[in-house]
Amino acid sequence: MEDERSFSDICGGRLALQRRYYSPSCREFCLSCPRLSLRSLTAVTCTVWLAAYGLFTLCENSMILSAAIFITLLGLLGYLHFVKIDQETLLIIDSLGIQMTSSYASGKESTTFIEMGKVKDVVINEAIYMQKVIYYLCILLKDPMEPHGISQVVPVFQSAKPRLDCLIEVYRSCQEILAHQKATSASP
Amino acid sequence: MAYRGGGGHGQPPSAVRSCVSPGSLSTCRTRTHNVCMVSDFFYPNMGGVESHIYQLSQCLIERGHKVIIVTHAYGNRKGIRYLTNGLKVYYLPLKVMYNQSTATTLFHSLPLLRCIFVREKVTIIHSHSSFSAMAHDALFHAKTMGLQTVFTDHSLFGFADVSSVLTNKLLTVSLCDTNHIICVSYTSKENTVLRAALNPEIVSVIPNAVDPTDFTPEPFRRHDSIITIVVVSRLVYRKGTDLLSGIIPELCQKYPDLNFIIGGEGPKRIILEEVRERYQLHDRVRLLGALEHKDVRNVLVQGHIFLNTSLTEAFCMAIVEAASCGLQVVSTRVGGIPEVLPENLIILCEPSVKSLCEGLEKAISQLKSGALPAPENIHNVVKTFYTWRNVAERTEKVYDLVAGEAVLPMDKRLDRLISHCGPVTGCIFALLAVLNFLFLLFLRWMTPDSIIDVAIDATGPKGAWTRQYPYSKKGGENNEMSKPR
Repeated sequence: MEDERSFSDICGGRLALQRRYYSPSCREFCLSCPRLSLRSLTAVTCTVWLAAYGLFTLCENSMILSAAIFITLLGLLGYLHFVKIDQETLLIIDSLGIQMTSSYASGKESTTFIEMGKVKDVVINEAIYMQKVIYYLCILLKDPMEPHGISQVVPVFQSAKPRLDCLIEVYRSCQEILAHQKATSASP
Repeated sequence: MAYRGGGGHGQPPSAVRSCVSPGSLSTCRTRTHNVCMVSDFFYPNMGGVESHIYQLSQCLIERGHKVIIVTHAYGNRKGIRYLTNGLKVYYLPLKVMYNQSTATTLFHSLPLLRCIFVREKVTIIHSHSSFSAMAHDALFHAKTMGLQTVFTDHSLFGFADVSSVLTNKLLTVSLCDTNHIICVSYTSKENTVLRAALNPEIVSVIPNAVDPTDFTPEPFRRHDSIITIVVVSRLVYRKGTDLLSGIIPELCQKYPDLNFIIGGEGPKRIILEEVRERYQLHDRVRLLGALEHKDVRNVLVQGHIFLNTSLTEAFCMAIVEAASCGLQVVSTRVGGIPEVLPENLIILCEPSVKSLCEGLEKAISQLKSGALPAPENIHNVVKTFYTWRNVAERTEKVYDLVAGEAVLPMDKRLDRLISHCGPVTGCIFALLAVLNFLFLLFLRWMTPDSIIDVAIDATGPKGAWTRQYPYSKKGGENNEMSKPR
């Protein structure tokens, strides 16, 4: 089963949430941001180049112009490869664990996996972020030393930053699976 | 609040308890408010303002209102925390400048405060303490955003020195368009009205409260063969330590069975030690040094008579605590003290050694003849006077009143500032108010209100903490909430 709904992020941008239900114990959530738009690319390039031309008319050194071209190209490459995340995926399998994948615009992917034995809970928390107060989804990890403690908080969907309605959607599904996992592990 | 305007001096506050009993509160509730308490001073910092905010918030939550607290980050304690009964506290990462008060530019806190006010759907901003820059900032922003504002003043000020002249000017600007002001006693009200050039009509008096269960009498702890006088105060000039040093030798010579216990620390401690040395009173005058608040009760119950020698006082909590422990109180007649206790529980004297000695002798003779009421009886009377529930009830009436008022629109607010605060200051602050409004418009354009998520209520009419369901958001949040404390 697969469905797609559209939500918005904390700045008002559009986000698409794809849910894939493979089986009652395995679900995948995929948040995709819109791709880099031609308009913003053009705007940034034009600003850099205009600034370069401004400097060029002042000091009349053509190095500035070539430097500007290189800066734009390298900046664009770096941005696509290290900053811009197009898609974030959360895969949760009740007997195995939780896998988080983020795919960059350049195609690079980075994956983190947390095994189910370490997961204490999945919760929605609040935080002060820049000049805003936002909600975010996070995974609480068990502390191996003390059974009730929390050793680490791992935030999910860090770059997309969806709003609360989207988070609740994902949270409910995660809780269903966690409850399912607890029920099966309690009565083998 | 119940006695607005002038008059009504010395009336015990128990007389204004409303008809509602705690059990039937929810039924006669007409409306609830979303209150945001703002102050630089909150736990983990310790003090009177801090506990006032906490206790008041807890009682307002009990009465069905939604209450959140905004303060600045204390060391590692930053972000959002939940305290008992779902009281939500925002510890904002703002720079602390001096004495736990934040630095202010009047603008930089607007984005965060606006975000909080919008997401928590706050209707009333309640600021505390005139020393807190954040409280004044919040008032300023709230007025720009068109929210109702209430301010509580906790201290008395002078008029003469440079720092008070400046603070008073700032207070005038800050309070001239605030909807309502609360003071802790009539003396404090008079002081605030004069300092901030206010209309007395919008100033209410709601005294502080003590938790009567913390201050219970225990007559077996004291020795009835001797008479013990207890003094608990900071040993500073303002608290009249010089008077105390005059009283001790005079009474100790007259009554051989008289002992003193003195709790507190301060620069004037040296005088008391000198007196003790000169008259060889080491076995009869005990100096305990600084006391923690939880130890105060254990000191109080060891005595028969409580002596307060303050030279100025907005509302004396110490004498209420002492009376609640069942002690006969002897005090100076200064500031708000005559309003605090009814005449049969307190002996008032002029602030002089002679008058205070006469008052103490009167108390001693009454004690010896057995004319004083039993500590248990005094406690039972006093515990009805100043309760936090009563304070919350009266604060609620202020909120009801304020919620019905209109917030000044921008043009009237500018008029008020210019006409009220003098031509120079008025114009400067009117300009700042306009700039603040433009900044707010810019923020509204950047992130419209519709984009800010509305927070899940922990307290109030739709409070998530009062209900329990396993698979909703609440279950998860609960886990998180149990962590910080």
